[in-house]
Amino acid sequence: MEEIIRLEELSYSYYGKIPAVSGISLAVGEGARFAVIGANGTGKSTLLQIMDGLIHQSEGKYFFRGNEVSEKALEERDFLRFFRERVGYVFQDSDIQLFCPTVLDELLYGPLQIGVGDKEAMERAAEVMRVLKIENLKDRPPYMLSGGEKKRVAIGSVLSMNPEVLLLDEPTNGLDPRTQCFLVELMLALSEAGKTLVIATHDLSLVDELHADVALLSEEHRLEKTGPCEDILGDEDLLLRVNLIHEHVHHHGEAAHKHRHSHYPFHRH
Amino acid sequence: MANKVPAFLLEKHSPARPPGGRGKMRIPFIERGIHNLASVVKTGYVQWETSSADRFFQATDARVKVLFLLFYVVIVSLKRDLLPEVLIGVFVFVLVLASRLNVFNFYKRVLFFAFLFGFLVTLPAAFNVVTGGEVIFPLYHFSAPFNFWIYPIPAEIGITREGLYSVAMVTSRMANSLALSFFVLLTTPFPEIIRALKVLRVPDALLMVIALAYKYIFVFAKTVEDMHLAKKSRLAGGISDEGARRWIAGRIAVIFRKSRLRSEEAYKAMLARGFSGDVRIHGERKLLGRDWATGIAFLAAGLLFLWI
Repeated sequence: MEEIIRLEELSYSYYGKIPAVSGISLAVGEGARFAVIGANGTGKSTLLQIMDGLIHQSEGKYFFRGNEVSEKALEERDFLRFFRERVGYVFQDSDIQLFCPTVLDELLYGPLQIGVGDKEAMERAAEVMRVLKIENLKDRPPYMLSGGEKKRVAIGSVLSMNPEVLLLDEPTNGLDPRTQCFLVELMLALSEAGKTLVIATHDLSLVDELHADVALLSEEHRLEKTGPCEDILGDEDLLLRVNLIHEHVHHHGEAAHKHRHSHYPFHRH
Repeated sequence: MANKVPAFLLEKHSPARPPGGRGKMRIPFIERGIHNLASVVKTGYVQWETSSADRFFQATDARVKVLFLLFYVVIVSLKRDLLPEVLIGVFVFVLVLASRLNVFNFYKRVLFFAFLFGFLVTLPAAFNVVTGGEVIFPLYHFSAPFNFWIYPIPAEIGITREGLYSVAMVTSRMANSLALSFFVLLTTPFPEIIRALKVLRVPDALLMVIALAYKYIFVFAKTVEDMHLAKKSRLAGGISDEGARRWIAGRIAVIFRKSRLRSEEAYKAMLARGFSGDVRIHGERKLLGRDWATGIAFLAAGLLFLWI
């Protein structure tokens, strides 16, 4: 699997005071399903925003297909176009991401920006609406949509640009089970179609369902471990240490007992 | 699902980077301005919230600091000569150094606002058309004086000594008032200021407005910055000035709507936790010896400036 994203000793701090990620090195292969997991505040979203060139590392290097991505590199027109065409970002908060007057405008915005013709952009928007089952929302303003509908439109607005890498920040957060299931199926289909998926999440069942490679971040904003999902999710001591599972007490009739609890059911046959 | 993926999503991009040559991106001024402003607001907010308490003046009680600010702003407004204004400016500079604030950043803000609201606003007063007196920098000469509407225009237009002095006075007053305000604000965590204002009998309704507005500034700056990032993530080329202005006009409407909804929710959250119109504070501490000493020292220095 050819390497598409590589981070070398990457660090970032907010306002020069609050560390967000610290000395992260990792690589993502082309077509991989890759999950960045960690407790709240470990720097998952920050790492994804750096991978999308929205904010820039204070230390270290980031390479996309062997090209260094930096503030300076993205000032160059050709490289910006090359990068934005290939890397799409779905924000955790869809309200922030959706800024056009209607759903159709949202789906057209990206393709038109990267120079896709009007006719093809319309075709792409129609196809995306069909796949995401949002044809009926075409003329609605985004603020009049439900949470699940907004998430579909947010994903659609990125898909219509046909990126080869999709960065998804907490994609299933706050969605009902049916929409979550729909999104998992969509992500698997996109992965089968050859897209590289990088997901930031603390939803361990999602990681398990996608059977993703995992980078585990510690609460000290460092990379604790990388590896296949079964290695990471199977290591309960590790998950306990990074605060992704916890021990709790509960009762069976009169008897109370204590055990580890992760809030996700492993899928077993 | 796999066979439902649209055909265009199966198209592959070339992995090779284009050779380049179309030059660099030009980011419209209005775009840069919004991003930088949001960033400055957020950074300032975080610095304020985390202002350290172990240095001179940071450790002083907020009530003493608020009284110091009010007393000195009154002194600055009462003085009629440049010398005491300059001396007060030097006094604040020494305090800034003693409190180990970032001197460059501090005076960058003070001078920017003093230039904008002091110097530029009063600049017309420097001309003899507005302020009569001895012309020291003649600029233009008409053949004879004449009347323009209700204004008499002299034959020689120029800058007068009296006009220049009044511009210098207003600018220095503005700079000193700003320096005093920024100094107190940057050395006092915001909740302490609210507590001090409450003790000084500032009405609760005003305190609520200040406290909520302060919190909202951060939320607002973060929303603006996030929206800017969301657009940036889907922007693969340049954007014209007109396009940037149109986008920003649209965002203002969205932010206004969001702000209204958020204010309603915040108010409901306050009601749900028992808010009934009164601001109640906790942990009112007694003034320590060092607070009294600092207060008396500032009072003495203030009286000296009044006397000069």
